[in-house]
Amino acid sequence: MTLHLSVVLFLPLAFGVLGLLAPPRMARWIALLGSALVLAYAVTLLTDFDSSAPGLQYVTDETWIGELGISYKLGIDGLNLVLLALTAILWFFCTLWATHREWDRPRLFYLHFMLAETAVLGALLAQDLALFVVFFDLMLVPFFFLTGQWGEGRRVQATMKLVIYTLVGSLLMLTAAIATGVLAAEGPAELSFAFSDLAQRPLAESSQNWIFLFFAAAFLVKMPAFPLHGWMPDGYRCMPLPVLAVFSGVLSKVAAYGFLKICLPLFPDASLNFQTLLLLIALASILYGSAMAFTTTETRLILGYSSVAQLGFITLGIFALNDQGAQGALLQAFNHGLVVAPAFFIVALLAARAGGSQDLRDMGGIGMRAPVLAAMFLIVAFATLAMPGSANFVAEFYILLGVFTEKVAIAIVASTGVVLAAVYGLRLYIGAVHNRTGPRVESREISLREGLVLVPLVLLILAIALYPQFALERSEQSVTAVISPPPAVAVATPAGWTPYAPLEETP
Amino acid sequence: MDVGWFLAASALIFTLGAAGVLTRRSPLVILLCVELMLNAANLSLIAFARMHGNHDGQIFALIVMVVAACEVTVGLGVIVAMQRRRLPIDVDEMQELRG
Amino acid sequence: MNSIRLFAWLTLLFPLAGCIAIALVGRRLPARGAGWLGTGALALSFASAIGALLALLDQAHDERQIVAVAWDYAHSAGIDAQLSLLVDPLSVFMILVVSGVSMLIHLYSISYIASDAGYVRFFAYLNFFVFSMLLLVLAGNFIVLIIGWAFVGAASYMLISFWYRRGTATRAGIKAFVINVLGDVGLVLGTLFIFKHVGTLDFLGTFEAARTEFAPGDADLTAGLILVLVGAFAKSAQIPLHTWLPDAMEGPTPVSALIHAATMVTAGVYLIARMHPLFELAPAAADVGAIIGCLTLLVAGTIAIAVTDLKRVIAYSTMSQIGYMIMAVSAGAYVAGMFHLMTHAFFKALLFMAAGSVIAAMAGQQNLDRMGGFRKTMPFTFGCMVIGGLALAGIPPFSGFFSKDEILLLIGDRGGWYWILYVAGYVGAFLTGIYTFRMIFRAFFGEPVPEARELEGGHLHHAEVPTNPATGEVEDTDVGFPGPEHHIAEREPTMKIAMGLLALLAIGGGVLQIPRVTHVIDHFLEPTFHDSALYERHPSDGLITFGLLLGAAVGLAGIAVAYLIWVRRPQIAVAARARLAPLHKLFVNKWYFDELIDTLVVRPARWFGAWAQQTFERVFVNGMLVGGTSGVVRAGSSAVRAAQTGFLRYYALLIVAGLVVLTFYFLMNA
Repeated sequence: MTLHLSVVLFLPLAFGVLGLLAPPRMARWIALLGSALVLAYAVTLLTDFDSSAPGLQYVTDETWIGELGISYKLGIDGLNLVLLALTAILWFFCTLWATHREWDRPRLFYLHFMLAETAVLGALLAQDLALFVVFFDLMLVPFFFLTGQWGEGRRVQATMKLVIYTLVGSLLMLTAAIATGVLAAEGPAELSFAFSDLAQRPLAESSQNWIFLFFAAAFLVKMPAFPLHGWMPDGYRCMPLPVLAVFSGVLSKVAAYGFLKICLPLFPDASLNFQTLLLLIALASILYGSAMAFTTTETRLILGYSSVAQLGFITLGIFALNDQGAQGALLQAFNHGLVVAPAFFIVALLAARAGGSQDLRDMGGIGMRAPVLAAMFLIVAFATLAMPGSANFVAEFYILLGVFTEKVAIAIVASTGVVLAAVYGLRLYIGAVHNRTGPRVESREISLREGLVLVPLVLLILAIALYPQFALERSEQSVTAVISPPPAVAVATPAGWTPYAPLEETP
Repeated sequence: MDVGWFLAASALIFTLGAAGVLTRRSPLVILLCVELMLNAANLSLIAFARMHGNHDGQIFALIVMVVAACEVTVGLGVIVAMQRRRLPIDVDEMQELRG
Repeated sequence: MNSIRLFAWLTLLFPLAGCIAIALVGRRLPARGAGWLGTGALALSFASAIGALLALLDQAHDERQIVAVAWDYAHSAGIDAQLSLLVDPLSVFMILVVSGVSMLIHLYSISYIASDAGYVRFFAYLNFFVFSMLLLVLAGNFIVLIIGWAFVGAASYMLISFWYRRGTATRAGIKAFVINVLGDVGLVLGTLFIFKHVGTLDFLGTFEAARTEFAPGDADLTAGLILVLVGAFAKSAQIPLHTWLPDAMEGPTPVSALIHAATMVTAGVYLIARMHPLFELAPAAADVGAIIGCLTLLVAGTIAIAVTDLKRVIAYSTMSQIGYMIMAVSAGAYVAGMFHLMTHAFFKALLFMAAGSVIAAMAGQQNLDRMGGFRKTMPFTFGCMVIGGLALAGIPPFSGFFSKDEILLLIGDRGGWYWILYVAGYVGAFLTGIYTFRMIFRAFFGEPVPEARELEGGHLHHAEVPTNPATGEVEDTDVGFPGPEHHIAEREPTMKIAMGLLALLAIGGGVLQIPRVTHVIDHFLEPTFHDSALYERHPSDGLITFGLLLGAAVGLAGIAVAYLIWVRRPQIAVAARARLAPLHKLFVNKWYFDELIDTLVVRPARWFGAWAQQTFERVFVNGMLVGGTSGVVRAGSSAVRAAQTGFLRYYALLIVAGLVVLTFYFLMNA
């Protein structure tokens, strides 16, 4: 079966534009249809993917800007497959969620929402460094508008922070990407940004070091990791919740994916040099994020800081620099996305029952007349705190095992993050669902419409918890290839050919 | 004839035009000077086309002339419009770009 | 072989199916339907466990370790995590005890909490708990073990916080959960230490590889096993991770009977027994277990003498008895430990059930100071309490006598410094006699309290306004207290049946393993422990006789002291309390363990969180990083703004200047 990745890539944007032309009332349904089609496509890819075959599948490779060696190259391997599925799943359900509300200027809203999906899919599918950078930066554009236009509270300030932080990261990344391509093309090789070419042309260690740091800065901001998370509190406070769910669920994972896809295979020496630094940043993220999550009372920020901690775990796994760690990181990326989106949805449901307040102090006793909601919330909370039996636990086990074989002390300190997660996870659950009913709380069961969003997501959490092998077996081949890349093959140089040969006069 | 002479002439005309753009305050004269610069470039293009013996440069020059014609049309239109509305015809009076 | 696998899976799946069924349709069932559904699921599970037992007995002696794999759970990158069960005599023994006792406790709960608003929820949780516990004991590798381990913790949390409107209950719940997660983390880290060397998560594979991979006393193995012990201590409420267990008495009484006496807290004992091939390679770790078990049994015994909450007395006695078991399995007396685990499950569940009946008669009041004189009005409960108490105190011929005695016998037989443990064990037995009968005498003897008189008149006492006995807060009438009606054993047949059966087991359970007479458990468990160096021990006849006599004497002495102090001369208790004030204060305050943990762990964590929130985030992250970045951007933009004069000619000049510079640059380079 031939599956064209360009179709899945531009499907959301096409439907966004279509929605722009349709009457405003129809925009939401068109967007929903678009995201549903992407989801269908992603499911097809998941089942059709051959997990035993190494290398890229469904490759699309066209020259885009030939002179600069930039190609429009898309492909799927074990690394991006599960994240692609995650993106498709979350976008569908968050679009469904977004349809519950009347948005100001709906056509534009859904256009941006869909454009964001295309950008994320592009960054995941891109097999060319320049193409990756383009889509990575394109991700920022729709979120700039979605936060600035449809946000809540001090949205302008939040947007500015978000933009400044991520733009600085993006600029560093752009510089680093160009440097990678140019420096790699020294000698006989033609300029090329394709990952497959770059992997064959290792850079000198000194260049690797600074380029790696530039990339790392960009990815760490996007995650966000401690101490580069300054934009996160305001950003999380102000984004509309469905937007925040995909932002927190998917965008941070693109950064983690970037580490796996770009930093590890292209800059192996630098990755090794900075391993300890990155592990320590990850560790600080885990501890700091957890500590903040169990002190703040804003439910959005509890989830936000817990994401900082979870992304810390993912970084930890990646920079264990071994198979187990990377497998765990990838699985955790998928799980965290799958867990955080319903968690934000639940925050919205709780706020609706607590007189509109999203503060934990105004909640309490919401479980009273809502056993289904309480049960769903309990499952999500347990998955968030990586309770054994959830796929999150499997991922953390892999991550800890990976780190353990490298640095025992770091693994042991990191494991306290698991205990702290139990504290903030249960604190959120108990604070909202248990105890006496708050003064403005009106407990009621979820409606069918809300259930349509929440229940399938929770069922997915349960399904992956029962069979995490589903994700692990699909990524195993690619992860092994990333961690121990095949030896670089020297480019064969034709005899007697020098790069600066004088051009001959044409008669 | 050596291509150098053409280039020298072209450079002279370009410098004249550039100096005019930088020093004069009347938009009309500035427009004329821009035309001078464009024509200096055209001269170089045609000289090089002659040197290489192909038509690329000539085609380029033709396109430049078309663009220049458009530009003059728009520019003169603007100046006439300003005149009609009795606005001062002085480029230093237009400072809206200041940050 | 296959029938064993099938029975093992069925044992596991019935409670899960019961939980799901109750959760989905429980509300539509007639009154008490959910309870019967849950009990039925457990009965089927128990039947399957018996099926597994019979099928296992059909196997040849050396083929009694069977692994049942369902599917690859997380099998990649060199980690072989499968969903597998290990069916061997040890796990079959455990599933029999767990499913059997749980079934009786379900039966008891059908009436006991019949008027609670959360009836359906209660049975769904209870079935889920049993499923988790069965998963724990049937686990065939570390991952499944950890999953069962954590599920048990989660189920325990849900049941402790069952009356979730009570602040005391939710606080106790989160405390239990967090300490249990701490244990989980210990277990995970311990697993990592072991996996690093043996390269497999499968139990049988690990034990096989450990023999070649680890030298005796290997440092990594010792470290790993001590971490595993942290897991065992957290779950089995051993010092210093025991503080959650007394607080867990916030849960309904059947929960205390099921989780905090008969099953969950014994998980640590099971774990050490399961890991015995590893512990024998790392004797230092095993000694840590034995010493902590011994300390726990003494500390818990002293606290149990001082506390006045009926359920907490039994909770501390549980801690103390688990201390015996931990000490036993750590010191190599595996069968004795498992035997005591079984008899303890019988008599402790019975004690809790009887206590539940008394508490119901007191309308939720648990304070021993307010009780007294129930002997006449609640004869059945009294009888059960006495049977349980005699078994607990180790009076022949009750079951506890034989099991406790066998533990001390084998420890004494090891000689060396184990003699200290041996003596401490008898001191603990003396304390056991005292606190058990203190509780019985104070609740059932003496002047009848008003509640007892009311019952004498044929009416069960009900508080006009139900209050939380711990805080005096008025209860939420929707959820949050046992409901408007209470149920005592004398009036409810299902409670009576459950307690009666357990009483019979508590009396007669000891016949399975009488020194020199019967060896049923010994023989049955042999295939699991066949490779153990410490398994085949034969204490001398003299030691056996001495031990049996001493055990009986110490137990009786404890009861006699209790009788003297609390029945004959109540003034002694007052005088002793006055004279030994500091000691009494220490015991009443539970040796200040809560305060210690609070100071060492909870407060620093809170302080760090507050510091991060208020100082670090504001000053460093927002001030320096965010402020710094935006400051740089602002300064940069004002510099650029200055260049924007708005004069067209100025821009043109800049362009020309730029061109000139570029031209020069290229000319210089050419």
